[in-house]
Amino acid sequence: MSNNKTSSDVSAKDLIENIQSNFEKQGYICNTHIATAIFLSQSLGKPILVEGPPGVGKTELAKATAEWMEKPLIRLQCYEGLDEAKALYEWKYGKQLLYTQVLKDKLNQIVSKSDSLESSIDNLNNFDDIFFSEKFLEPRPLLKAIESENGSVLLIDEIDKSDDEFEAFLLEILSDYQVSIPEIGTIKGKVKPIVFLTSNNTREIGDALKRRCLHLYIPFPDPFLEEKIISSRVPEIDENLKKQLVSFVQGLRSLDLKKLPSVSETIDWARSLVLLNIKTLEPDLARETLNILLKFQTDIDVSDPEIDNLIEQSKK
Amino acid sequence: MVDFLRDFIHILRSSDLRVSTSESIDAMNVVSKIGLNDRSLLKDSLSFSLAKTLREKEIFSECFDNFFEENYMNFNDEKLPKIFDDKNIKLGDIKDSDNFQNNLEELYKNSDKTSLMTAMALAARDANLQDIKLFTQVGMFTRKIFDEMGLETLNNDIFQASRDGKTQREEELKNIRENLRIEIRDYIENQVKLRTSNTGKQLREDALSQMRLTQADKSDYKIMSGIIKKMAKKLISVHSRRKRKSQRGLLDIRSTIRANQEYEGILFETVWKKTKVDRPKIVALCDVSGSVANVSRFFLMFLHSLTEILPNVRTFAFSNKAGEVTDLFENKDINIAAAETLLLNGGGSTDYGQAFVDLEGYLENNIDRKTTVIILGDARSNYGDPRCDVLKTIQEKSKRILFLNPEPKSVWGTGDSEMLRFVPYCSKSKVCSSLFDLERVVDDMLRSSI
Repeated sequence: MSNNKTSSDVSAKDLIENIQSNFEKQGYICNTHIATAIFLSQSLGKPILVEGPPGVGKTELAKATAEWMEKPLIRLQCYEGLDEAKALYEWKYGKQLLYTQVLKDKLNQIVSKSDSLESSIDNLNNFDDIFFSEKFLEPRPLLKAIESENGSVLLIDEIDKSDDEFEAFLLEILSDYQVSIPEIGTIKGKVKPIVFLTSNNTREIGDALKRRCLHLYIPFPDPFLEEKIISSRVPEIDENLKKQLVSFVQGLRSLDLKKLPSVSETIDWARSLVLLNIKTLEPDLARETLNILLKFQTDIDVSDPEIDNLIEQSKK
Repeated sequence: MVDFLRDFIHILRSSDLRVSTSESIDAMNVVSKIGLNDRSLLKDSLSFSLAKTLREKEIFSECFDNFFEENYMNFNDEKLPKIFDDKNIKLGDIKDSDNFQNNLEELYKNSDKTSLMTAMALAARDANLQDIKLFTQVGMFTRKIFDEMGLETLNNDIFQASRDGKTQREEELKNIRENLRIEIRDYIENQVKLRTSNTGKQLREDALSQMRLTQADKSDYKIMSGIIKKMAKKLISVHSRRKRKSQRGLLDIRSTIRANQEYEGILFETVWKKTKVDRPKIVALCDVSGSVANVSRFFLMFLHSLTEILPNVRTFAFSNKAGEVTDLFENKDINIAAAETLLLNGGGSTDYGQAFVDLEGYLENNIDRKTTVIILGDARSNYGDPRCDVLKTIQEKSKRILFLNPEPKSVWGTGDSEMLRFVPYCSKSKVCSSLFDLERVVDDMLRSSI
């Protein structure tokens, strides 16, 4: 048994490394921790709940996965008041109405054919079924993801923004990958979609939902990883500047700020420094461009006295 | 494998980490996919299915490191998988035969640490070590496990040696016995550290939430503010749901007709009126003089932990004069704010009359029929004028007044207590002396105000 284990072990590790290198090709740099989560969610068929501060690439992770697997990405943005009709399916009322108008004559014929009231009702009943068929069903993201023939990547973004009720409603879909429509029946997907849920932790997610998911926490990247990300996204950047810039941003994150600068903001900053054709970071320059990294005036005020120090440190 | 996971999950649970059955099944699946050889990979993978918040991940990481330090020191050790596999049973068989029991001496002399650990783990299982609760039980369990491993035979051998006059052998055997005892004791102490790190805390928390707050010791503040956070979280989840439900109003006919014009006036979609929720305003006036300071401190913490469902809270603290402390609690860490409140407004002899006058001055026209006024104090006014007339005007302007008194009802009105003169102006007056009481009072208040 121990031998078996070693062989399966090697392959698991290889698969994880494979995922990691594939992501790198897409321009998404991640550590083994994230790659392991993707591997497990795939092999266990479980959704992943991704949490972490804003701007660390939670949504990007889903996009990269979709691209790597060459499956369509279906995205559902959550907000307060999101309900079944917008997330799952809706009847095309307008179309149904239009059809009944257009088919008025046809209906008249059918009704006139039957001699008794009872048989005409029976006849009309048949129509009822036609009107509540899949032809008149407007699939929304969740239904689309379940119905897709070759599987898909479903991204339920910012689940913490939705209501408790919506969270409860997701439970059926996430554990069984099926949807019940009263007029039609239960629709079950042929291929399980790969599901990502992201959350910024503005609200604690319910235990029931958490239980059905694997939980991945993405923190801010360490300097090494962040440098790698920068060189992948902004390849034209000067090697020396990159090191300085990353160390500076990492220093900023240790300050007591309202909103810490995220990876995406580091990338933006790197791009603008490249545009300005800058080779080394200087305090004045940092002050002038700080509004790219920090989005609150109070944060800029707090970090201002520290800038000289941080630049000094980053040059080492 | 099942054994080791079950054990590990048991330890996680005892460290205040909730692991459901379905999550442990997930963990099993994870392990079967990943295998046991790579420790850091295993740790990563298990954390996905067992720990689901940042705090839980920290606990998990600590437990994992401790657990694998102790029990399964080296994954690459070839002998080790024996513990995990079905061969387990085989080992058990050996144990039952005399073979194992007799050879305690040989076990010690010939085998390496791993097999000694294995033998100990097995004996520990038979001795129900997982039930250990307190460190005082270490001695008892050492004895039990020693017995399971065959102490009796060893003792007999020692006895035999001494009777035969073989002093050297006797010494040697005694040495072995002593060393083994130390090994077992170490093992158990580690297990206790692993398993009971939280049960003690649990007991302490229970006791603290029942204890009279006036008796609370400074060293307990940290735990207590933790308890308050838990209680507040519970109340928020109970009451926020109810609030949302009560926000939907009646059918709005006019908007419904307008919304359905595109369907030739056939009513498909419904539009609902929104009821205006009157957010309750809460004004709290807390006595922060020596005797009641502790209760006030925790009550203020409690109120300000509820901002999610009580957005309009204004708090005042007084001993001889009242001062507003709302800003302190909103902008600072709750523990620091509590300490500063006591520093700014505490001390001095209590004067309820002055406090009421000050409060009225602060509020002026900001008090209306939606406002609930909560007064917390022992109503001991040092024989000063209690100014019931001011309390009366406050009562007339506000929705209601709640009076929370940490003293038991039997002493209300004794000595300089003006409680009995305040009671007529309050819609409710309650004894409130422990965290548990606090929770009940706040829950009650929320129920009737939202």
